[in-house]
Formats: sequence, structure tokens, C-alpha cells
Amino acid sequence: MTILSGRKIRKVYGKKSTAQEVLKGIDMEVQEGEFVGIMGPSGSGKTTLLNVLASIDKATEGVIEISGHDLRTMKERELSNFRREQLGFIFQDYNLLDTLTVKENILLPLSISNISKKEAEARFKEITKTLGIDDLANKYPNEVSGGQKQRTSAARALISNPSVVFADEPTGALDSKAATALLSNLEKINRDKKVTIMMVTHDAVAASFCSRVLFLKDGQLYTELYKGEKDRLRFYQEIMSTQSVLGGDGYDA
Amino acid sequence: MTLSQLVLRSMKKNIKHYYLYFFALIFSVTLYFSFVTLQYNPSVVDVSQGVKVAAGLKAASYILLFVVVFFVLYANLLFMKRRSKEIGLYQLIGMSKGLVTRLLVLENTILWVSALAIGVGLGFLTSRVFGMVLLRILEKDVLVQLIFSVEALQMTIFVFLVLLIVVLIQTAIGIRRVSLLALFTANATADVKVKRFSGLQMFLGFIGLLLIGYGYYLSTTLFELESDNPNVLFYKMIAILVSTIGGTFFVFRFSVAFILNLIRKQKRGHLSIQDVLSLTPIMHRMKSNAMSLTTITVISATALGILCLSYISYYSAGSTAKLNIPFDYIIMNDQGEGFIELLNEKKIEYTQTDIELLNVEVDTSAIYANDMPAGLNMVTKGPMIITKLSDMQKEMPGLSLKEGEGYITGYSSMMSEIVKLEENKPVELTTSNGEESITIKEIRSDSLLVYYVTGAGMSIVVTDEQFDKLKADAMISEQTIWSKQIGIDLAESAQLKEVQAIYEETTNNGHFEVTKDDGTIDSVNMDTQEAYRLSMLDMFGLVIFVTGFLGLAFLMTTGSILYFKQMTEAEEEKASYTVLRKIGFTTNELMKGIYKKQLFNFGVPLVIGLAHSYFAVKSGWMLFGTELVAPLLITMGVYVILYSIFAFLSIGYYRKVVNESL
Repeated sequence: MTILSGRKIRKVYGKKSTAQEVLKGIDMEVQEGEFVGIMGPSGSGKTTLLNVLASIDKATEGVIEISGHDLRTMKERELSNFRREQLGFIFQDYNLLDTLTVKENILLPLSISNISKKEAEARFKEITKTLGIDDLANKYPNEVSGGQKQRTSAARALISNPSVVFADEPTGALDSKAATALLSNLEKINRDKKVTIMMVTHDAVAASFCSRVLFLKDGQLYTELYKGEKDRLRFYQEIMSTQSVLGGDGYDA
Repeated sequence: MTLSQLVLRSMKKNIKHYYLYFFALIFSVTLYFSFVTLQYNPSVVDVSQGVKVAAGLKAASYILLFVVVFFVLYANLLFMKRRSKEIGLYQLIGMSKGLVTRLLVLENTILWVSALAIGVGLGFLTSRVFGMVLLRILEKDVLVQLIFSVEALQMTIFVFLVLLIVVLIQTAIGIRRVSLLALFTANATADVKVKRFSGLQMFLGFIGLLLIGYGYYLSTTLFELESDNPNVLFYKMIAILVSTIGGTFFVFRFSVAFILNLIRKQKRGHLSIQDVLSLTPIMHRMKSNAMSLTTITVISATALGILCLSYISYYSAGSTAKLNIPFDYIIMNDQGEGFIELLNEKKIEYTQTDIELLNVEVDTSAIYANDMPAGLNMVTKGPMIITKLSDMQKEMPGLSLKEGEGYITGYSSMMSEIVKLEENKPVELTTSNGEESITIKEIRSDSLLVYYVTGAGMSIVVTDEQFDKLKADAMISEQTIWSKQIGIDLAESAQLKEVQAIYEETTNNGHFEVTKDDGTIDSVNMDTQEAYRLSMLDMFGLVIFVTGFLGLAFLMTTGSILYFKQMTEAEEEKASYTVLRKIGFTTNELMKGIYKKQLFNFGVPLVIGLAHSYFAVKSGWMLFGTELVAPLLITMGVYVILYSIFAFLSIGYYRKVVNESL
């Protein structure tokens, strides 16, 4: 089942004279339960695409539908509610509120929903257990490690049982061990709970956890790779070779 | 790019940051210049007793200067903090600290010169308004000229030049302090250091509440002195100040976080979005905000208290005059016949109230309540004025007495604060045939006797039979100097001025005298009620003007500082707003939490300040006037309204930040 679809997405920044076209008509579809990676050199429009798909930014042209909702027809308020109830977000710099404890941060998206405290508590327990942060509940973000912060951020993204989780460079600020732990967690959640995940990354290792990787170049879809039945190492090598063709962001090796 | 180009460009880019600082400067210059101009305005100086007004204004201008210095230095400090990143960046690209300093010196000088020019222009206009307000308060009908005083200009330029130099030094020190390392960690240090709340803090928070309560309790019993040490009053005042100010600090530093932490704990992690935006940031900012909130609260409480007291004096001028001189005009012992004849002749309508008086030696020791302060040597036996019931009933129809009963009148609120009297106790009147006992039925604060006769003390009302008996006593009539007080009330208050002249003419400026049998002369100089009121206005009008002006300055500065702080806070929290809006909270949902937060940030200092000044005023208002409720409510009401404006401004700023955060 298609959960997210975009048709001819264009995004132009600036006024007429200084206009810069960042997305130049992108078509894409994401099936339910997919783990999609978006890669591309700096300035190719990865983050812009993610923001536009996630309704944080408005597309200049094009149609975006997420589980049957057309984002264009929705008002500011509806979009906010939609984001809160249907989408989850993980950011590179965690974006946790420093003044809230880990538990308070995670429960934040539920704060104005009708979900009962009991239900919220149950979800909280389950998610923190899956992510291995169940003993941090009463700590403040500055008391835990970067990897733990990012897992907190992931837990916050998942607590509302979203249809799609958007992750923008979630491993960007983590060391490789913490990054692998986080990605394994995401992969597991994706597999076991059928949560659809879209992840922007420039790290080929991170991308190799995905089931499909889209490559952007100059605001256009360049190519895409499916993992299929390949193991992670093979997939990683494929990604690397595509990246070297693409130029820019890859490691020159 | 030359230095001046860089300066102009950075000023253009920074205009958003500047306008706050610029506004603060213009405001200070305007206030100072207009106030100093007022001192040199001939129409203001000439109108009253010249020297007094000028001296009063001069003294006030020093206090104003203090406010201005405090305000400008604080604004500059905030301004520097906001720009620390920019300053660091200049150094990162290789500019020396000296060059950066020169850059900022140039910027500041441009800013100050233009603020000075605008401020002087505005001050020139506002000083006339202030002058008109002053003369209106003094009830003088004089046209205030619009004058430009060169002396005032010189004074203002001098003061602000010196202040500029101080600010430049402050800036230079600030630049020296900025290290490049701090640039990279700037955000991390600006962020709230989140800490856990310990048991000790909770205890201290509780102590804070107790301290304030104790201070308030002391203030209500300020004049109940148990010891005969005259310094006790002073010690008590110090104790009140220390416990309320200390308590205020503790409340801000510990109690607030303590209470909020309790609420938060109860929620077990399930915070509403409003809590997230109000409860938690307030809790965590309290440590750094406690000092400034305490200062602001104490300053506004002081300003408000002084403002209330001077307004009470001013507001009470009429009623104080009426209390001391109960009738428009008073003549004694039939010595003003000429006055009454002339009134009749000119067909001016009036009512006349005759009251017969007797001087009797009275022992009042029995009516004093037991807990009379030992240090106060109250004379309980001495001559008092006695009046008769039927005379008093003309103006106070509610009175009625049985035989052997009497009223005490003229027990003022000031007196009641210091000595407590008890009703249904006897007083002893000394007659030539021994003592005559009268039971006091009621103790009343109102009086119909002019204070020149009673010496602002109490008098006694007795039944007509009793009065006649006393009057027949040779010893008493020997003691009695003034046997009759005639009070004249005009029907038309518009004629007060005209009649004043007649009064002065016919009674030799209110001079009455009696030659006793032994040849000594007893005399009294009587004021009319209106003349008394005007002299009160002269005295307190200047006080209310100066305190009102300074109070306004205090209010504006504390309000602005709170507002500036909130602007900075809003910007620091912008990142949180971005997160929350990305996650899917609407602007309105966020704003609801911010309303709560601002209600707290402005409301708590306001409420504590109001409570402080209420207790301060309550403890000593009777020394200043006779009316409490109306002036207190009016002053506090105006204060609350002006203060709320700042709160709304800050909310507007928050809305802008939240809107821009996504």
C-alpha cells in the first residue's frame, strides 16, 4: 500500500530575481513499511525534500499525499495536528528540550492528545525498552550521552504510533558505535512494527540499513537502489559505487 | 572596507537589536532633560516659593540621575550580551581587540549623539507638559511658557557624556572578556544549566515564605512598642526590611522552583504543552533571574509605597483641612461680628453653627487600654475642651446621651494607631467641689472643633444639664479662654475666594485675642479651611509631583528591564519553539503556555511588590493623611495598568518569535 506519494514536487527559494530552484520536479512513492534512505551531495536538496514531505516546509508546486491526506489542501492548524498525530521526527542535533527530563521529552507529542495516561505509560515502557533507555526516564538530556539523546529523540518520534517517521541525518552527531546501535534499533522497529521510515543521510553505512535508497542530484531524482535480498555489506558497496559516480559527498577512496 | 563603512553596515544589520537600546537611551535623555529644564523654567520657579520648588526638583533630579545610570548600564550590558557572538566573529576573522573596541566606540558614539538629539527634542516638549501637570497639581492658574534652557542642555550633555564614557569602559571590558573559545560554546553556556532540586532548597524555599510573613506581621504591629527604648521602632523597621527583602529573594530563588517542582513531580512525566512552556523554563531560569526579580520587586515596592504615601497626603489635603478646621470660616467668642454682618450685607448665603466651649481639667487615665506603650509618657490628666450635646447634635444628629454619660470626639486615626482607648470607662472632671465622673459612651474620630482650640487633641461632649452645671462653676469659667466657636459654612463654594478676602479684612487675618483678668493676652491666629487646604497642596503638591515623576521613571525602567529580559529569553528559547512546531504544535498552543509564563514573569513581581507596598503603607499611612483606600487603589490601579502594558508588549514579541521559529 502506498503511504506517501509525491508528484512533480518543486521548491523555489527567494524572490523572482534571486530565485533558486532547489527541487526540480521530483516524483516518488513510498510503500507502507519501507525504510527509505535519501542520499546525495551537499546542496542536492535532501533536507529540503524531507522538510517538504514532512509538511514543515511548503512545496512551491506539486502534490504530496501522506496516507490519503493531500498536504496542499490542509490549513496551518490541520497540518500541525497531522504532524503531531501521523508523523514522527528525528533530527541530527536531537532537538530535545533541555528543561524536560527524558520521560517528559518522550511523552511531549501526547500532551494534547486524548490518549489516557495509562496507555501513554504503557507505550512509554515498551518503546524505551525496545530502544534500551528505560532506566533514563528521570534524567535530564545533559546528563545522558549523545547516543542516548538520539534514542530519546527516536522514542519521542515513535510514541504517537506515527504512519511515517522522518529522520534527518540522525547519526550525523554520533560515533560509529552509537550510530550502529541506533540504526539497528530503527531497522528492528521498522521490521517488527511495520513503521515506515524516511531517512536523509550522507553516510553510506547508515544508508545500508535501508530497504531502498534514493539518490538526489541537483534537485532531481538521480537513481534508486533496492536492497532486496542482498546482505548489508553488498548493499553498502553498491551505495558507495553509486555515490562515487554521483560525486561530491562520497569519500574519495 | 574601511572602519566607518563596517560600522555603518553592521549598524544597519543590527537595527533590530539596536532599537531597544536606542529607545532606552532616548527615554533616559528625554526624562532627564525635561526634568532639568523644569528647574530652569521661570513660570514654574516663580509661581511658588521659588527656592523650595527649585530645591525639590534639584534633589529629585539626582535620584532621577541614579535611575538613569542604572538603567543605561543595564541596557548596555544586555545589548553587549546579545552581540557577544558578533564580537567574537570579528575577532575570529582576525580583527584585533583594539579594532573591535574602536568599532564599538564609534557605533556607540553615533548612537548616543543621535539619542541625545532626539531626547533633547522630546524633552523640550514634554517638560512643558510636566510643568503644566505640576502647576495643575498645585492648583495655580499660570500659563507655562515653552522655554529652552541652555543650562539644562549643558547639564544634560555633561551628564550623558560622562555616562557615555562609563558605558564605553564597560564595553571595552566586555570585549576583553569575550574569548574565542566562548564563541564556540556560547550557546551551551547560554543554555540553562539544568540542575536537580535538593531538600535544602525546598527548606530554604519554605523559609522564604516564612520571612515575608514575619515581615508583614511586624509591620502591622509597628507602633505597638513594648519597651521604653526609643530605638525599638528603628530596630523594628530594620527587621521588617531585612526579612521582607531577604524573604523576597528566597522566594524567587528557592520557593518558586520548590512549588513548581512539587506540581511537576505530581504529573509523573505527563506534562501538558502549557506546562512545558511555562512551568519548566521558569523553574530552570529562577536561579539566574532571582537577583534581578528581587531588585525589580523591591524597587517597585519602594516606589509604589512612596507614591501611595505622597498621594495619600495630597488626596487627604481636603479632608485633613476639614478635620482640623471643620467649617469654612471660624470666628471665636463673638469677635467676628463684622464678618457676619458683611456676609449678610452682600447677601451671601451661609449656615452658622455656634458651639459653646468650656475648659475643664480632666483625668482620663481610666480609658486608656492596659497595653499602653511604656515608653510613651502620655499625659492622662490635663485641661480639655468640653462641649454640650445640643450644640453637637446640630451637625451630628446621631448623638444622644443619658445623664452621667459623655462622648469623646477627635480621636484621630493617627492617635488610634499609637494609643488604644476603651469605651464604657469613666473620666474625672475637676470642679471646685471635687471630681465629677462621666462614663464615656463612645469614642469618635470626628470633631467639630478647630484644632487651634483643641490642640489637635480630644474633647468631651456632655449632656446640656451637665454642661450648664459646669458653666456655673466659677473656677471653670475662670479657666475658660474661648467660650464660643462660631462656624460658618458657605452654601456656594464658588464664593470661597471672595469671602476669604472679607474674612481676612474683618478679622484682622483671623487674629482673635482675649485679655484675661490679670492682664495677660491669649491670642490665636485662625486659618480658613480653604487657606489651610491650599497650604497643604503647596506642601504636598510638589512632593506628589516629584514622587509621581520618579515613580513613573522607576516603573518605566523596571518594566523595560523585564521586557528586555523577556526579549532575550524569547530568543534563547526560539530553538525549543522550532522543535515543538516541527513536532506539530500550533502557534496558538504554544502561545497559551507563554501567556501563563508571562503571567508569572510579570505577575509575581507585581503581586509581591503590591503586597510589600500595601503593608508598608498600611503601617504608617496615618502619619501622612486621613484617606487610605481611595489613594491606595488609584495608585496601585495605575501601576498595574502601566505594568501590564509591558507584559502585553513582551507577549507580542514572543508571538513574533514563535511565528518565525518554523
